[in-house]
Amino acid sequence: MRPRSWHAPWVWLLVAWLLGHAATAVAQVDATSAEYQIKAAFVCKFGAYVEWPSQAFDRSDSPLVIGVAGDNAVVEAMTRAAAQQAIDGRAIVVRRVQHGESLAGLHIVFITRSQAGWLADVLAAAKGLPLLTVTESEQTAGRDSMINFVVVADKVRFDVTPHLAELNQLKISARLLGVARKVMSRPS
Amino acid sequence: MFGCLAPAAAQPVPRQLADLSLEELSNIEITSVSKRAERLADAPTSVFVITADDIRHAGATSLPEALRLAPALQVARVSAGGYAISVRGFNGSSANKLLVLIDGRSVYSPLFSGVFWDVQDLMLEDIERIEVISGPGGTLWGVNAVNGVINVITRSAADTQGTLLAAGAGNREAQLSVRHGARLGDTTDVRVYARRVTNPHTETAGGSAVDDAGQHNQAGFRLDRADSGTDKFSLHGDIYDGRHGQPRPGSIVTGAQFELGEITLSGANLVGNWEHRFDAGSSLAIQAYYDRTQRTVPPTFAETLDQVDLQLQHSLQPWPGHAFVWGGEVRYAMDRVTNSSFFAFLPADVDQTVASLFAQDEVTLRDDLRLSVGMRIEHNGYTGNEFLPNARLAWKLAPAQLLWAAASRTVRAPSRLDRDPFVPGQAPFLLAGGPDVRSETARVYELGYRGQPSADSSASVTLYRADYDRLHTQEVAPSRTFLFFDNGMEGRVSGAELWGAYQALPNWRLKAGLSRLWQDLRLKPGSNDAAAVRNAEGANPDLQWQLRSSLDLGHQTEFDAGVRHVSALSSPAVPAYTAVDLRLAWRPRQDLELSVSGQNLFDAGHGEFTSVTTRSELGRAVFVRLVSRY
Repeated sequence: MRPRSWHAPWVWLLVAWLLGHAATAVAQVDATSAEYQIKAAFVCKFGAYVEWPSQAFDRSDSPLVIGVAGDNAVVEAMTRAAAQQAIDGRAIVVRRVQHGESLAGLHIVFITRSQAGWLADVLAAAKGLPLLTVTESEQTAGRDSMINFVVVADKVRFDVTPHLAELNQLKISARLLGVARKVMSRPS
Repeated sequence: MFGCLAPAAAQPVPRQLADLSLEELSNIEITSVSKRAERLADAPTSVFVITADDIRHAGATSLPEALRLAPALQVARVSAGGYAISVRGFNGSSANKLLVLIDGRSVYSPLFSGVFWDVQDLMLEDIERIEVISGPGGTLWGVNAVNGVINVITRSAADTQGTLLAAGAGNREAQLSVRHGARLGDTTDVRVYARRVTNPHTETAGGSAVDDAGQHNQAGFRLDRADSGTDKFSLHGDIYDGRHGQPRPGSIVTGAQFELGEITLSGANLVGNWEHRFDAGSSLAIQAYYDRTQRTVPPTFAETLDQVDLQLQHSLQPWPGHAFVWGGEVRYAMDRVTNSSFFAFLPADVDQTVASLFAQDEVTLRDDLRLSVGMRIEHNGYTGNEFLPNARLAWKLAPAQLLWAAASRTVRAPSRLDRDPFVPGQAPFLLAGGPDVRSETARVYELGYRGQPSADSSASVTLYRADYDRLHTQEVAPSRTFLFFDNGMEGRVSGAELWGAYQALPNWRLKAGLSRLWQDLRLKPGSNDAAAVRNAEGANPDLQWQLRSSLDLGHQTEFDAGVRHVSALSSPAVPAYTAVDLRLAWRPRQDLELSVSGQNLFDAGHGEFTSVTTRSELGRAVFVRLVSRY
């Protein structure tokens, strides 16, 4: 068998080029990866440094509910981290959030970069709810969510936007602000 | 590509993250993982990752079936437990250009430079991922990784806690697996498992029974310990035994007629890994393993192989912009063969030592341009020193687009099946081994693109050309009284590999893949192996493609569908086939899953490899599986 001319393979490279244009960073979501284990531990811990209005919890021992918009692997990492922690005597419960679902009953929502397509919808739906929004997005860059994760020099850090939390009747402790990489101030 | 030594699943991150303060969490370096994830996404090589989720959605019941998910791999099922698996051509039941590792342990047999797929079993639920690298892995993985490397990585014991019970039955097989994982202290986790698989015999297209019924029993453990973020240690082992029939024409075909007996198999292995991370960002990984396999193939031969292997790998950044890896490996193999009057490996008992040294530097020429250059020198008892150089260039056009190119020289060193086989078992011989067989060589040039056209999609394209020389042939001696093995073939194989994924809806994921092959092999002057080119080229399809869909229906149900097509093989003739596989799963709770999967559902049956008179006709297969966690 003689090989065909090289035209055919080069056509395919061209097809791939036509498909490509700029986009967000490539992400191999591997939730047993240290990055997601650390983010999951952070999200659970945020519960201890944020005060919710009293109507956010039915009883003093109602669980803290974290909604995760992400794939199975991230949900599992969050569930594992939640199992290891309790906040003020409350258990932590993790729920998967799908596009279009109501955010009622959640106290924290974590939107992963794999769900960036409907990030804006979630943030809009969260307005006015006693809900802490956590993202890992380069685009919002702390402007639209209350806490945004960034990886800097191979370490997981986060930026906090306290005025957005205040709009939702949440109070973020000074301790959390002290550990944040950047505290975004209210645009004047 | 530095994944060859580390078990990969257990990262050097303190397990009890819950006990750390906010400040401590902020200070943990995620180097190993982000580098690995980065490397797979930015790696200047053609790599396809089969995730644990992919395996579950495909309803795969064994490792070879899971490998069908990689578009570049040719996976052909000959009989119930017999598979011919290769990449970029050269398939055969002794396909010898693919290196396969399970958690860093090579499962490639030095007896015939191939993999005995009938004994590569593991709990699929405990696989973290399978990295399928097409293209030469020479510098980091050595000789025999000529066309590709399959790296099966299991989950860390920390990620497999609790009890899992998986039971399944279908018309083609039944399986039962149990695993229990526990914490042994602050930093140590362990799991143990046991598994049994049985299968009834299959049939040929003509309706006659194929003698391939069998059973396989296996148990094993894994222990992981992660101290203080700088050290991690892992120990794992397996033990198995099994047996299955020997389908015609038999494992060894000599032309003589004899009664084929039942094949019995057993083995055990123990693998230890230690990785230490230094302050300056460098790391040292050491791995040692012992592997024993026994195989009895009546009436032609029996083999007991003991291997001991020690590897070391040091990664460091000696100067800014340079990521340097160097290491070495020593493997000692004791091969004891029991010969018969039909067939003999001579000498019967052989001790082989293989030693190698390698070094690779990845230089960051510019923010978006990286060049890596490496060399491996491997010494083996048959051919002395072999040199495997390679160079790769990676150009990051945009945050989510990579263009890469590579040039490598790689080698397949002779195995015992090249040098030592004699037919019959005593003089005068009709086949007198291959005393002068040298290494097969390949020069491979590759060009690839990997990108994310949108947040919802990803695509990868690779074009390659491999120039082979000194390929294995079977020659007729000038006296015309016997045959011998030699290196009388050369040629070129070029091809294209494409795959992509698209998240069409939040609950609907599509994946597609295609691989195309152009083969042009020819005999070298002086060779008289008239069948070599036809047999080598005819065993590989020109085209194979697959399309997979995963749909989350809501109400805890999932529906998965897949279509795969393999074009015709010419020698021996196998018609092209298209198979449709479906799976429906119901997960009423996080810890309970019930699924029904079917293969080849719209097809009365098809064959995949070797002659129609002896191969299994693969008809409709149904499998019901229950997975329960406590």
